[in-house]
Amino acid sequence: MGRELVTGNYAAGYTLALAGEANRSGRGCGAGAYPITPQTEIVEYLRGFEFTKGAVVPVESEHSAMGVCIGAALAGARSFTASSSNGLAYMTENVFAAGYYRLPIVMIAVNRTLGPPWNIWVDQGDSLALRDAAWLQFYTESHQELVDTILLAFRVGEDPRVLLPVMVAEDGFVTSHTQMIVDLPEQELVDRYLPPCRVPHQLTHARPTTVGGLTWPKETTHHRHEIQEAMERVPEVLAEAINEFEQVFGRRPHGALSAEYTDDAQTVLIACNTMTRTLRRVVEERRARGEKIGLIMQKMFRPFPRQELLRAVTQAQRVGVLDRNYSPGSGGIMWTEIAATLQHRPDILVQDYLVGLGGGDVTPQDISAIVDELQSRQTAGDPVWKEVAA
Amino acid sequence: MMEMILYGRGGQGGVTLAKLIATAYFLRGQQVQAFGVYAAERSGAPVQAFVRIDSQEITNHNQIREPDHVVVLDRTLIAPRITTGLKTDGWIVLNTPDHPEQYAEQFAGRRLATIDATGIAVANGLGTKAVPIVNTTLLGAVARVLGLEWADVTGALAELEFGGGNITAAKQAYEQVLMQQLAGSLVFSTATGPAAGSAVAGLFDEVVGSQPRIHTGDWANRAPQRRQLTPPCNQGCPAGNDVRTFVEQVSREDADAALATLLETSPFPGVCGRVCPAPCMSACNRHEYDEALNIREIERYAADHGRRPEPLRPIRPQRVAVVGSGPAGLSATYHLARLGYPVTLIEAGQELGGVLRTGIPTYRLPREVLDSEIHYIIAHGVQVQKGVRIKREGLLGLSREYAAVFVATGLQETRALNLGNLHADMVMEGLDFLDQARRHEIFLQDRRVVVIGGGNTAMDAARSALRLGARHVQVIYRRTRAEMPAIAEEIEEAIEEGIELSELVAPLQLQNNGDGTVLTCQRMRLGEPDESGRPRPVADTCEDAIFDVPCDLVLLALGQSPDLSILPEGSEITENGQLLGLAAAPIFAGGDLATNEGTVTAAIGNGRRAALHIHLTLTGEDLFPPEPEPTAQPAQITMHLFKHALREKSAAVAPATRRRTFVEVRQGYVDEPGHHPAVTEAQRCFSCGVCNNCDTCLTYCPEGILQRRGDRDYRFDYDFCKGCGICATQCPRGVIYMAEL
Repeated sequence: MGRELVTGNYAAGYTLALAGEANRSGRGCGAGAYPITPQTEIVEYLRGFEFTKGAVVPVESEHSAMGVCIGAALAGARSFTASSSNGLAYMTENVFAAGYYRLPIVMIAVNRTLGPPWNIWVDQGDSLALRDAAWLQFYTESHQELVDTILLAFRVGEDPRVLLPVMVAEDGFVTSHTQMIVDLPEQELVDRYLPPCRVPHQLTHARPTTVGGLTWPKETTHHRHEIQEAMERVPEVLAEAINEFEQVFGRRPHGALSAEYTDDAQTVLIACNTMTRTLRRVVEERRARGEKIGLIMQKMFRPFPRQELLRAVTQAQRVGVLDRNYSPGSGGIMWTEIAATLQHRPDILVQDYLVGLGGGDVTPQDISAIVDELQSRQTAGDPVWKEVAA
Repeated sequence: MMEMILYGRGGQGGVTLAKLIATAYFLRGQQVQAFGVYAAERSGAPVQAFVRIDSQEITNHNQIREPDHVVVLDRTLIAPRITTGLKTDGWIVLNTPDHPEQYAEQFAGRRLATIDATGIAVANGLGTKAVPIVNTTLLGAVARVLGLEWADVTGALAELEFGGGNITAAKQAYEQVLMQQLAGSLVFSTATGPAAGSAVAGLFDEVVGSQPRIHTGDWANRAPQRRQLTPPCNQGCPAGNDVRTFVEQVSREDADAALATLLETSPFPGVCGRVCPAPCMSACNRHEYDEALNIREIERYAADHGRRPEPLRPIRPQRVAVVGSGPAGLSATYHLARLGYPVTLIEAGQELGGVLRTGIPTYRLPREVLDSEIHYIIAHGVQVQKGVRIKREGLLGLSREYAAVFVATGLQETRALNLGNLHADMVMEGLDFLDQARRHEIFLQDRRVVVIGGGNTAMDAARSALRLGARHVQVIYRRTRAEMPAIAEEIEEAIEEGIELSELVAPLQLQNNGDGTVLTCQRMRLGEPDESGRPRPVADTCEDAIFDVPCDLVLLALGQSPDLSILPEGSEITENGQLLGLAAAPIFAGGDLATNEGTVTAAIGNGRRAALHIHLTLTGEDLFPPEPEPTAQPAQITMHLFKHALREKSAAVAPATRRRTFVEVRQGYVDEPGHHPAVTEAQRCFSCGVCNNCDTCLTYCPEGILQRRGDRDYRFDYDFCKGCGICATQCPRGVIYMAEL
């Protein structure tokens, strides 16, 4: 395909389809599809794609959409879907099931604020609420990052050392509905990058089994611990996948996180998705003025990349977290993870900022004001609620 | 970096125009970004789209606030606010047929381009005439303004697979766009986007506001309006009764209010509830759905069960005389008295009521009902003179004595029929027969009776003859049952009672045939319509076309005509043949004397209009009802919203019993514990064209912008009404309609 001017949703649908098609030499692909704003174009694209081996099944709800994915994956197919916001909330029971069944399904989460009150704009609270569902989670800052991460997701999730589902998040509208130039991969390269999917506990006629029956506490603990071990192997598998990606596609996607200008940075700001790109503009402008400031693009949230984070804040005195999400009664969800990790660095002041909730247009001026506030602090406090223009 | 804002309306293709512009630059090797602002909006809502062009990678994902150029896709969006944040040398590209000079004042000092993109798009068949899609056309204009080559335009259109009319339209716009630097100094718009710094509402805080105040009413291209139509029953009532209202009052179990409504226009609800031919029921829209409402029985129920208000007393100085106490005279008397006039009612006979008393048998209209309604009229301070026959001289005398005189002496002349000279004593006028019958002056034991005619008098005479002991009663009529002027139910009941109806038969003469007297008859058939619109009966020529009917008595019910000798010589009856000013004297004529409309109801309405006319003449005050609104048509009623329900049955005495007595045949709607047929029947009313607070509109309004304050005061909040039209679609009775904006 080469360079195209397309929306994020088009790019995501296109890439999912190629990944599904790439499994035609294996068990093919299977997906359940149900629409919801701002994700709908993805499942529309998938329904319109003529797979050599596989099917996209339109169903009556998100819960069933994930049900189809679980069935397809247990039958050995490569499986994928997409949803958003309250759709994810409705899907939740089966999202957990996919995780605990250890099925390498890939789902695009087009981030949208959970209602009520009703809202269709971006907020990462919908996918972050599913952080405990035994899925890997990646957050993408651009169209290109989205496309590349979807391919990484299949590669990592299907790796026998991991065997877990992967959620790839993109910002509703800001990514999903914006036309940007993106390098779309060719089928031939995707075929090379994604070997046929193999699900070791695949159901077959030859070996009838039951999956997910009753277990005793001890066995359940063991099962959980296996998942934790799989999660812990992700950095290693991801690194390999990125290297391979570079060999096949000639470009290198970000890893678990992208630490930029952090070598000497005394102030470090952390963000995810497209807000990172706005943050980057602010950081670069301030560095041009001589400030020792850096940023971290938090791409992987599950497993949480503790070691990478600690390595990126060696010089930091202040860390500010830009959370476009909110856990009632606590604060930003990224902040709680980051603060827990930085318990090893009690010298760092960690402050949370709740910004752009409900899709507010976070401008460089807004972020600059946050940086000023962070730098004026002597102690950390409760999360700061930062209002922005509509 | 170059940034642009496109202002358009949902459905015009603004986001696609943004992509087209971006594509043109993308194909030139530039970095680009195109996006729209999305909300819960729909076709027609103001929307914005943005384009960024740069030689560097674009990392800005914010909305554009200080554009280099703006494009306006819809003429209705041209306003100072589009220049908010616009750079001083930025272009304004407007979709308008106007010349840039037209905007010299509004956008002074700006660089401005105009193109009639809508006209070009329509001419090239892009979109529909209602919603032309102007994006490809505007691409041509924008490209020209931004200094792009025509090849850039064709490249972008090809990339997005636009062909045909799109290319032609873009080319026309590329060539025709008018660009001008407007003179004068810049005026900076102070208009802002969404209010900054306004208080944010909590979910439970009604004081601060709740939802974002987006005036979604601006998106509407039509708006719901309310109207009141004339229900067909009201339109059809010759007495002018507000039928729909009294039916609704009965449906709410308020017989008192229903009777009060009836008494506004008629003193005879009890009479009409029994003998009216009920044109309201023929007009009823429910006839198109299952069965017309039984309005006559509902009126009777209101009259029999409601309480009458206290009669009013005269308060005016001008005295009015009314000559004739038939329905027209009594109605005029009643309304004049209610208006406060002292009325003197003059009747030639010994009893009041005219044809109501002499011409309608008591099995249809019991004496007590008539007496009670007449008594109520007289109780309004009316002076009554009985046994006083007024002739022409007397009338002129009254006109000198009274401020006004109303003459309603009805029809006194009967139509004769020559059946030969032989048996004159065997032939009797139907009305005379009925008068004798009610006074029990005639008995017909074992006699064979033939009634000639097809009106109510014929039916009344036939059924009375039966009750007076006749062995056999036969009605002969020269047309068919369908053309008979008599009330359909009367015919039905007569047949039930055993009366023989012979259609298409005309009498020739009475004669002896050896066995006794016979009426020789001629068989008829229907021919071409005559001047009355009914088919003309013509003599049949078949073999047995002439035949004999044995009979002992012939009753003639052929209709009547007025005796005009009472009126002053040279009188002219005016007012559309209904009323009634007579030249040079304060004398007014009405009822059948003036109009020959022939029904009690018409006479009642005529008497009322006479009273209003007299009042207007005496005081200059016009109390006539205003011109009625258009009548509600069946198609305006959303009938499927109503449950099918057939008429409630009213009670009647069985034919075998009633055919020998003068007891009232129909017993009306009789309440029983747990069953109120009159109320149930009234609840079948569609309330055509008149709001009855059903609140269906409130239930269905998806926006919640419709409110009711108190009784029937519904308010649309047009700030937030998008014009979806569901209220109008769901209004069961055609009250709400959509007006184009």
